[in-house]
Amino acid sequence: MEKEQYQQLEQNVTPKPPYLKNVAKAFFVGGFICAIGQAVSLFYIIFFNFTEATAGNPTVATVVFFSMILTGLGLYKRIGQFAGAGSAVPVTGFGNAVVSAAIEHRSEGLVLGVGGNLFKLAGSVVLFGVVSAFFVALIKYILVTIGVVSW
Amino acid sequence: MVILFQTKPSLLAGGVVAGPLENRSVFSQYFDSVYDDERWQMKTNEQGHRKMIEEACEYAMKKMGVQKGDIDYLMGGDLVNQMTPTNFAARDLEIPFIGLFSACATSVSSVIIACLLTELGAANFSLAGASSQHNAIERQFRYPINYGAQKPQTAQWTVTAAGYALIGKHREEYPSIEAATIGKSVDYGMDDPFHMGAAMAPAAFQTIQSHLQQRNQKIYHYDLILTGDLGQLGLKLLKGMLVENGVKNEELTLLRDAGAEFYGQDEAFQSGASGAGCSAAVFFSYVIQQMRAGSYKRVLLVATGALLSPLSYQQGETIPCTAHAIEITMK
Amino acid sequence: MTLPLLVVLSLLNGCAEKEKFIVYGSTQNESEVEALIKEEDYVDRSTVIQYDDSMLVAVQIKPWEKWKKTKLEKKLQKKFEKKYPNKDVFVSADYKIFYEANKIKKDQMEDTKLSDKITELKELAKEET
Repeated sequence: MEKEQYQQLEQNVTPKPPYLKNVAKAFFVGGFICAIGQAVSLFYIIFFNFTEATAGNPTVATVVFFSMILTGLGLYKRIGQFAGAGSAVPVTGFGNAVVSAAIEHRSEGLVLGVGGNLFKLAGSVVLFGVVSAFFVALIKYILVTIGVVSW
Repeated sequence: MVILFQTKPSLLAGGVVAGPLENRSVFSQYFDSVYDDERWQMKTNEQGHRKMIEEACEYAMKKMGVQKGDIDYLMGGDLVNQMTPTNFAARDLEIPFIGLFSACATSVSSVIIACLLTELGAANFSLAGASSQHNAIERQFRYPINYGAQKPQTAQWTVTAAGYALIGKHREEYPSIEAATIGKSVDYGMDDPFHMGAAMAPAAFQTIQSHLQQRNQKIYHYDLILTGDLGQLGLKLLKGMLVENGVKNEELTLLRDAGAEFYGQDEAFQSGASGAGCSAAVFFSYVIQQMRAGSYKRVLLVATGALLSPLSYQQGETIPCTAHAIEITMK
Repeated sequence: MTLPLLVVLSLLNGCAEKEKFIVYGSTQNESEVEALIKEEDYVDRSTVIQYDDSMLVAVQIKPWEKWKKTKLEKKLQKKFEKKYPNKDVFVSADYKIFYEANKIKKDQMEDTKLSDKITELKELAKEET
């Protein structure tokens, strides 16, 4: 059988991913995780002396803590298999990437193993997040200087 | 060219050891041992992998009452970098050893080499097989175990199992290897490591076709043609290719896949099982036992392997695959 | 039987007319302040605490207008400063400030404690991390 013919056969046999179902699952799980984050945020605002502006830090720390526990117990990967992007996009996904890499490389020691591989998966997030933030800020600064927008 | 074994070396015994998750396999009743700790109580996954290989070899040797000093050669491999679990197991088994890498097709390629050595008169007994450990290989090829990446329906689950066969000079009451075909590295342009079945099916097709042609046989000459780990989708594709080649639908029922059947209908394992241990575990337990019981008289075992690395995938390469076949007969 | 009843009751609770504009403290220009705030249609709810010359205006912006929270906050601040130049006015759209302001009203704080609390809240609102 020729390559093109085989590729055609493969296209016909391979089931299409259930896009709609996946989108719905990601939407609801992602929303649920964010709702929990909002609850944590409100908790800090009401019971502690944090304002809406300052509650961001402890909220993220707490949410990442939850994700760390779930990853260590092996539960986060089950959520991930179900939700896909819904669990990978929120900061819990970032926490999961870092913690799972740390657990995996423990056998090679703390410095080269854990330290060297901690950001194996999350490194891109950090790098491209910082770089794009820089460029967005630069663009805004230029626009403000021209006078198109104001701060 | 097909290899014909005039002296017909025999598959004297098979030793198959699997991990806790493999207890859910439909073939688990045929395994020699299903351990309850995937690390075999060792500190790392790789050490557990090594222990598993040693145990499988021990079971095979014990069944024929031979010691490791009686074994002439050890042929084997796994999917970890530089095949260290197999290398370290060889160190402890103290048998002259050559490691082989045919990815998931190693179970059959090692048997072929062992048979050639036996045919040559250079070996009385040899051990041949392959193994895989889920955690060690996921870490090698994909993501950390606890990472929450979503696997598509076409993905396959790497089994934790080791299967080693004791090959020796021909004995009437044992399944014997009559012929073998060494496959080429076949690339049909598939590039998705989460859809290995599609990449490996053309290799299986080519090897099966070549073997049948060279031996002047048709599918119905066999009681069973068992591929290693094409998975449910890969098997469908192989059947599609055979039909296109003139094979009738009734004959297709003789074609089965160890990976597709390994975990039964459990959807948690997507398209089925894979890994070097998948074909080894099923071939050297289920098939040998069924042949000795008289259920199959002529069997073609075709182990399939995907010859990629995480680097080759990241560099944008496609996935070349191979398939090796052995023809086993029973009086 | 009790569960659906509970659900219905808790949903209906939200429909009750809550006091949307509260002014607490010295009652001098209560109605004036209230009218000033009601003018701005982006304000959903508001609680004003005043004591002597200091005034704390805690507002909750309507959901869709929340995108421009800081701008609207500044606008309201300027408006109040213009109206009451001799008073120390502070406007905040932060939920914490609003919540604390409501607590002040609930606890019926008086005099020095009230004055201290207002200063404390103004400091808190200025925090950045």
